[in-house]
Amino acid sequence: MSAAGSRERRSASFLRPGSGLLILPPTVWVLAVLVAPIVLIGLYSVNLKTNLLGVPTAFSTANWKDFLPPGSNPFWDRFKISMTITLVVSVVTVVAAYPLAYFLAFVAGKRRYALLMLLLAPFFTSYLLRVIAWQVILNNHGVINSLLWQLGLRPHGDGIPWLIYSKFSVGLVLFYSWVPFVAVPMFVVLDTMDRSLIEAAHDLGASRLTAFLRVTLPLSIPGVIAGFVFVLIPTTGEFITPLLVGGPSSFMFGNSIQSFFTDTPNWNYGAVLALWLVAIVLVMLLLFGRYLSTDLEDAAT
Amino acid sequence: MTILEWDGYQAAGTKAQTYKTVVFGKDYTDEFGASGLTYSLIQNDSSAINSVRTGKKFDVLHPCAENFRDYVDGGFVQPWDTSLLPSFANLNPALVKGGQFNGQQYAIPWDWGYGSVIYRTDMVDPADATGWELFWNPKYKDRISMWNGATTNFEIAALKLGFPQMDNLTNDQLDQATQSLIEQKPLNKFLWASEYTNLQPALTNGDIWIAYSWQDQWVYGREHKPPIPFNFMQPTQGRLGWYCGFMLGKDTANYYHAHKYVESYINHAAALSLTNTFYYGSADATVKGSEIADQQVAKSLSIGDPNVLSDTSKVHLQSWEPNEVAVQTAWEKVTAA
Repeated sequence: MSAAGSRERRSASFLRPGSGLLILPPTVWVLAVLVAPIVLIGLYSVNLKTNLLGVPTAFSTANWKDFLPPGSNPFWDRFKISMTITLVVSVVTVVAAYPLAYFLAFVAGKRRYALLMLLLAPFFTSYLLRVIAWQVILNNHGVINSLLWQLGLRPHGDGIPWLIYSKFSVGLVLFYSWVPFVAVPMFVVLDTMDRSLIEAAHDLGASRLTAFLRVTLPLSIPGVIAGFVFVLIPTTGEFITPLLVGGPSSFMFGNSIQSFFTDTPNWNYGAVLALWLVAIVLVMLLLFGRYLSTDLEDAAT
Repeated sequence: MTILEWDGYQAAGTKAQTYKTVVFGKDYTDEFGASGLTYSLIQNDSSAINSVRTGKKFDVLHPCAENFRDYVDGGFVQPWDTSLLPSFANLNPALVKGGQFNGQQYAIPWDWGYGSVIYRTDMVDPADATGWELFWNPKYKDRISMWNGATTNFEIAALKLGFPQMDNLTNDQLDQATQSLIEQKPLNKFLWASEYTNLQPALTNGDIWIAYSWQDQWVYGREHKPPIPFNFMQPTQGRLGWYCGFMLGKDTANYYHAHKYVESYINHAAALSLTNTFYYGSADATVKGSEIADQQVAKSLSIGDPNVLSDTSKVHLQSWEPNEVAVQTAWEKVTAA
C-alpha cells in the first residue's frame, strides 16, 4: 500500500461516527500534562503568577528583556556550552551505537534479542545510582587514578585533573547512559530492512562496503536520525549528570532552571529559561519529528 | 513526624544518626521509638525555605536565624507553647529573643557557630591564609571548594570587598560582589553540596585544600586518626556567625509530640552532647565551659559564650536579607557564567 493510501485510510477512519471519543482521552491528557503546565510556566514568566507571598503580580516582560538579547547575561554562555555538550554527546553516541545495532541486526542472528536485553540491562538500575557509580570510577581517588598510580604511570596522589568535575566527565557519563537507548531505534530499522535489496546489490557486483554505503546506510538513516533525536532532546534539559560529575564550568542550562525552582525564590526568571528550552526542543521536534514516524515508508519519503 | 533537618542532627536512636555517642533526641526516641521520625535533609538555607514555599509540610523545621522571618511571614509555622518545654528557661535570652516575632516564640534556638575558611596547613602557605581572599588566590586553582549556598557566598564576597552591610547590599555592591564571585568561580574544583558526602572526603583525602566550612570539620580533622592538618581560619575580616532553631509546622498534627521532640534536644544533656560532638555552641546557658571535653577547642571557639556572636570585630552574624530575590538571582548568574 502506498503512503498516500495509508494516510487516506487513517483520515477516513478518523471521520467515522464516534471516533472523536477515542481521541478525547489522549487530548485531555496532552492538555493536562503538557499544555496546561506550559501555560502556567508562561504566566510565571510574565509575572502574572509568583511563588512569593505578598509580592504583587502584574504583567511584566522584564525577565524576558533581561534574558533575550543574545550575550546580555551569563545564561546565554551556559546555553551555548550546554548545546555544545548536547550536540557532541548526540553525535558521538550515534556513531558508537550504530555498530552495536548493526551487529545485533546482521551478525547476532537468533541471539539478537537476548543480546539486546543484555545491552539494556543497565536500565534496570536507577539512573542516579549509575551516575554515582561513575563518581567512584572517575574521582581523584577513584578506580582509574588508583590504577594509574599502581602502575606507576602517574605520581601517587596526582589524579588526572579533567577526569571528573569537567565537561569531559559530563559528556562521558551522558554518552554511557544513552548508547543503549540510541541503539534500539537503529536496530529496529536495520532488523526490519528488506535484505533482498542488499542481496541485489551484491548480485550487481557491489562489494560489502559499497553495499553498506549505498544500500544499508541510506535505508537506516531514519533510525539514525531517530536515535540522534532520542539523545538530543532529553540531553538538552539534562541536569542530574552535571550536578553529580560536573564542576562549576560544566553545569548545563538545565542546572540553571532546576536551581531557579529549588534554590532561588525567583520562579519567574526560571520560567523564562524553561520556556526558552521548551521552544528550542519544539524547533528540534519540527526539524526531526518526521523521522520519528514508526511508518518507515513515511519516514523514508 | 516529618522533620526538616541538617544532616548529622537526626535524633539518637534513629538509623540515620551515625554518631553513636550523641544523646540529643534520645529522650524522645526512648519514649516513642524512632520509627515515627522521618527526616528531610537541608542542603542549604535557600533550598530549605524554597521547599517549604513549594508546599512541602513538616511538623518540625530547623532553619537558621537568617530565614526565621521568611517562615513566619509565609505562614508556614506557628508559635511554640514554651510552657510545654521545661528546658526553655535555660536558653540564652539573646538567642531566645531572636526567635520571637509578633510577641510570640516562633523559634527555639538550639545551635550556633561559625562559618569560615578551613584549609590544609600541610598544603597552604600560612602567609596566604589570612583572610577570605584565600578563595580568590589563583595559586590554589582546583584545590578550592566553596559551598553551593548562594547567600553565604555573597556575604563572603562582601566581607572580602569591605562592604559594611553584608546582608543588605546596594545594587552597585551586589554587582561588584557578583563580578567578584564570577572571577572566583573557575578556581573551584566543585561547589560542595553535602558536607559529609562531598566536602569531608575531598578535604580528608587531599583533593581539596581550601573550603568554606563550619567548625565541625576542623574538629573532625583533629579527632581523625591520624589527625588531618586542618586550620579553621579567623579571617582578618572576621568569621561568619550563625544560630539556628526549631520551628513548629503550622498544620502539624503532632503538636505535643513536636514539643516533646524539641525538649529532648534542648535539655542540658542533649545540648552538651551537641557541643561535645560537633563543637558547635549551644543555646543552653547552663552548659559550662568546664563540661566541654576538649578545653582547647572550647576556648579557641569561645563555645561557652554565645554573646561572642555580637562581637563584630570577630564575627558577622548572618541575618535576614531584604533583597533575597536579587541576591539569589545574582548567584544563578554566577553559576551560569
